[in-house]
Amino acid sequence: MQFIQILAFGLLLGGVYALLASGVTLIFGVLDVVNVAQGAFLVFSALFTWQIWDLFGFEPLLLIPLNGLLMGLLGWAIYRGMLVRVAPQGPGMTVLLMFGIALILEGILNLWFGNKFKSVTPSYYLSSFNFGDIVLPMPQLISGILAFITLGLIYAYLRFSWAGRALRASAQNKEGAALVGISQRSAASLAFAIGAATAGVGGVLLAIMYPIFPATQYDWISRLLGIVVLGGFGSIPGAITGAMILGVTEAFANTYLPQWSSLFFYGAILLILLFRPQGLMGTKTREDVVA
Amino acid sequence: MKLASGRSGRKNRLGAVVASLAVAGLVLSACSSGGDEAATEETTAAETAATEEAASGEGPIRIGISLPLTGDFSQPGGAAKKGYEVWQTLTNQAGGMLGRDVELVILDDASSQEQVVTDYNRLINEEKVDLLLGTFSSLLNYPASAVAENNKYVLIAPAGGSPKIFEQNFKYYFFAQQAVGPDQGNEMVKYVESLPEAERPKTAAFVTQDDPFAAPVIEAMQAKMEALGVKTVYSEIYPPETVNFQPIANAIAQAKPDFVAQGAVFEDGVNLIKSMVQLGFSPNMMFQTSAPSNGLQFSDAIGIANTEGIFYAVSWTEKADTPGNAEFVAEYQKQFGADLIPEEDAADAYAAAQVLQAAVEATGGLDNTVIQEWLHANGVTTILGDLSWDEIGRPQGEFLLAQWQNGEVEIVKPDAVATSTTVINPKPAWQ
Repeated sequence: MQFIQILAFGLLLGGVYALLASGVTLIFGVLDVVNVAQGAFLVFSALFTWQIWDLFGFEPLLLIPLNGLLMGLLGWAIYRGMLVRVAPQGPGMTVLLMFGIALILEGILNLWFGNKFKSVTPSYYLSSFNFGDIVLPMPQLISGILAFITLGLIYAYLRFSWAGRALRASAQNKEGAALVGISQRSAASLAFAIGAATAGVGGVLLAIMYPIFPATQYDWISRLLGIVVLGGFGSIPGAITGAMILGVTEAFANTYLPQWSSLFFYGAILLILLFRPQGLMGTKTREDVVA
Repeated sequence: MKLASGRSGRKNRLGAVVASLAVAGLVLSACSSGGDEAATEETTAAETAATEEAASGEGPIRIGISLPLTGDFSQPGGAAKKGYEVWQTLTNQAGGMLGRDVELVILDDASSQEQVVTDYNRLINEEKVDLLLGTFSSLLNYPASAVAENNKYVLIAPAGGSPKIFEQNFKYYFFAQQAVGPDQGNEMVKYVESLPEAERPKTAAFVTQDDPFAAPVIEAMQAKMEALGVKTVYSEIYPPETVNFQPIANAIAQAKPDFVAQGAVFEDGVNLIKSMVQLGFSPNMMFQTSAPSNGLQFSDAIGIANTEGIFYAVSWTEKADTPGNAEFVAEYQKQFGADLIPEEDAADAYAAAQVLQAAVEATGGLDNTVIQEWLHANGVTTILGDLSWDEIGRPQGEFLLAQWQNGEVEIVKPDAVATSTTVINPKPAWQ
């Protein structure tokens, strides 16, 4: 029974990690940009959630659409206003730009919220759902379910909508997509907006689970990059798989050998990359060069 | 769903990512060097003026401080800055030190062990400050103490009681709290020892963050509790980046300890308690290191009702009847908000500055070697109470034992300074 209990902890956590990492991998897949500001986006959304909850007492989960939209717009604006101008300079400059944006956001959050942890405590934040002998903490359960629903919506959008197909086409072959009339700039803007929107949703989920502080962005971005490297840059199923591996590994390691929990995760990444340098689900096929 | 393709393309991309990180590093270091050059030029003029003023005995006494104003420790770093600034205000209002105003030169070390070394070297060699005050946490004071020692500058630290620092046997480093880190739990152990045998906890769980200040407290407490006959049923260390505490809380719950002691900084302390509440496990006694000292942040995070009965070690309380404490609290509230209770970290910084002030005034000068010798031989009265040090800067007193009672913090031990005669034991169940 303990095995199932620990597995449940890991899967719920993995679900949230999957949502958070999907935005990073989506942006990389379409834009070839490593969005090192995703951790700052997450914390921004989480602290915004706290601010609204603190001022008006709103149920924080109701903010998911608003935060998703606002962060999506912010992502779109960052792409159109800055990234698109810097992208031709190469990946080095885009990483530098996103790192700069992360630092600026952290500075703004420090000025806005001060150097203090903020906690969102809705009515269910200390409650849990008992399924027989298995205890599922309510914030984690809600967050895990909502993360999977959001991932499902993103998947359906990319799989079935015209815009989603255009986005995927652009990711697979930019020149080919351009030849059939898909604007790379529009596809990239959309990808960046969706990637940032996942941070908007993820930020609300983080806010109901953990105390938030501007500098926690560094912990989150290092986790997310680890997941994306493990799953394979650019692959959403890879990010989900990597997130589940991290979530479950972390839960078991924290139960039996917490001191070594980080080592287990990064050790797993090292092992997998030894045999699959492209990550679990990263592709390894011939480059389709059109130009 | 694959969003990208191409072997060579991927290799190129990954190569580009690595290259881009390298470029980012180079550009940042270039910017940083450029900034340093500019800063150095400004500093040269400032330093010439400052040196001239110092030589003439006029102008302010300049005190250099590096603090983690950004990054992981920005919360205590920001609080310490407030404490230092309150001390500066009150000192200057009272005529300064040696008849001269004091000026604080504060740099941000971004919570980085590398940057704190750069900062203190810069303060000493470029800014040519007269005196230094310490940064925040053992992690940062450890490298900072070596810079100060090599340059023969006294470094009085408001936080930094890890045994590792004192293993260096430095003469110029002083920790300005009542006791070193491992002794933080002494009053808790003494309280357990004072209980009739039947009322003592029979079993205990010890869990701590892998932190140079928190871990020694819990390790020392475990040894002392075991010596009292309390059986350890769980003992683990977790990395600082741990956020998900349900598995740890679950493992503790399975061991069913009467007493839980956690070496917690803040977020980890809150997350463990929340996880224990969610899992329905409530120990009879609960002790944490720093987390419960964070006032409203702590009670907001776990719910005010759940704070009841939680013990922690503390160096200061706003209720303390120590000389100057009321003035400190009043000036803090005047500067930062009438309804705010100063952070313990702010009070510790204020006390560190008081120690420096006492030594400067007693020795009548700014000679760091003389100040160092005086501090080894004399005690100082601060808002934390009386402090004194041994030959390697270790304080010789005891921390206070605090407990959350009815939504407020009370000092419960030692009796001489207790603000409450009641000790809540056992802790009520979580709400």
